Amino acid sequence: MDTQRPERPKPVTTEDLMRYLDGEVTPEERTQVEAGLTGSTELQRELAMYQSMKSDIQDLHFGPGSAQGSVWDQVNARLNRPIGWVLVITGLVIWMTYGTYVFATSSVSPWEKLGTGAIAIGVLMLLASVIWERLRELETDPYRNVQR
Amino acid sequence: MQRQLELELIRKCKAGQSRFYEPLVRAYEPAGIRLAIAMMGNAEDAKDALQLAFIKTYDTLPRFDLRRPFGPWFFQILRNQCRDMLRSRKAKFTTEALDEHLENRPEDAERGPERIQQRNEARKLLWRGLEKIGTEHREILVLKELEGFRYVEIAQILEIPEGTVASRLYHARSALKKALVDMNAEYP
Repeated sequence: MDTQRPERPKPVTTEDLMRYLDGEVTPEERTQVEAGLTGSTELQRELAMYQSMKSDIQDLHFGPGSAQGSVWDQVNARLNRPIGWVLVITGLVIWMTYGTYVFATSSVSPWEKLGTGAIAIGVLMLLASVIWERLRELETDPYRNVQR
Repeated sequence: MQRQLELELIRKCKAGQSRFYEPLVRAYEPAGIRLAIAMMGNAEDAKDALQLAFIKTYDTLPRFDLRRPFGPWFFQILRNQCRDMLRSRKAKFTTEALDEHLENRPEDAERGPERIQQRNEARKLLWRGLEKIGTEHREILVLKELEGFRYVEIAQILEIPEGTVASRLYHARSALKKALVDMNAEYP
């Protein structure tokens, strides 16, 4: 006596349904899901609902609106900024070293050298404190790289 | 963009020639801004996120493996940038400026103003639904439905195993369905 029964289709899982909906199934899996769909109106209804949702989302078709215009200029400026800074700082260091040497070896009276030196050092200290403060703020600034 | 050309541009960028980065920026910008707007909900924040993502991508190019595709790698950085910005500002996805981004399709215009109004209402409802479901669900739906990525690419962008993409999509779609039902919108 033949005891073999017709093989029941493997139940279709929600993941199978998603892969089927998104066209990510192999031909075998497709056949299996379609067999499951044939036997279940509930599954058919669920698939129809997700298909409708999928097409509605795809239909959103939105454009850039006020975001139009490339960000390339801002990105490019940010990428090239470090080179500019290196050049400016190198130039400044050279000029300041040379200026200090010329001033220190000049025939100006020691009192004049002392007064001018104090002003120069004071200005540099103030500048350094402002830069230091700004650098500390930058650590927590989420928009530090954003240019408008 | 052709894969070979893309590889050549990346090689030059890796060598420090930043001018070769421009074609890459321009090629990935349209899809990038769509993803960023969908994640951030408004154009201003989206543009900031996109700009920062391109800069971060360039800065990390020396570590980029040329055997990998560039697109998913860039979108992974962009997605992380959007999430970081949303987290750091404790900002919520906001649909304030979305109306200007929702474009009418030509076929709607052919069917008259009533059709346009109906479609616009449906779209706004969907956006409100997307707003309700949270970033995790929204990002996977955007990657799949708006950007059309394959599961393998989504897995790469979201840094999850490929096998969990289907399940994540199911949860996202179910959450959206629930959000729409809560707003009295019905699906068949």
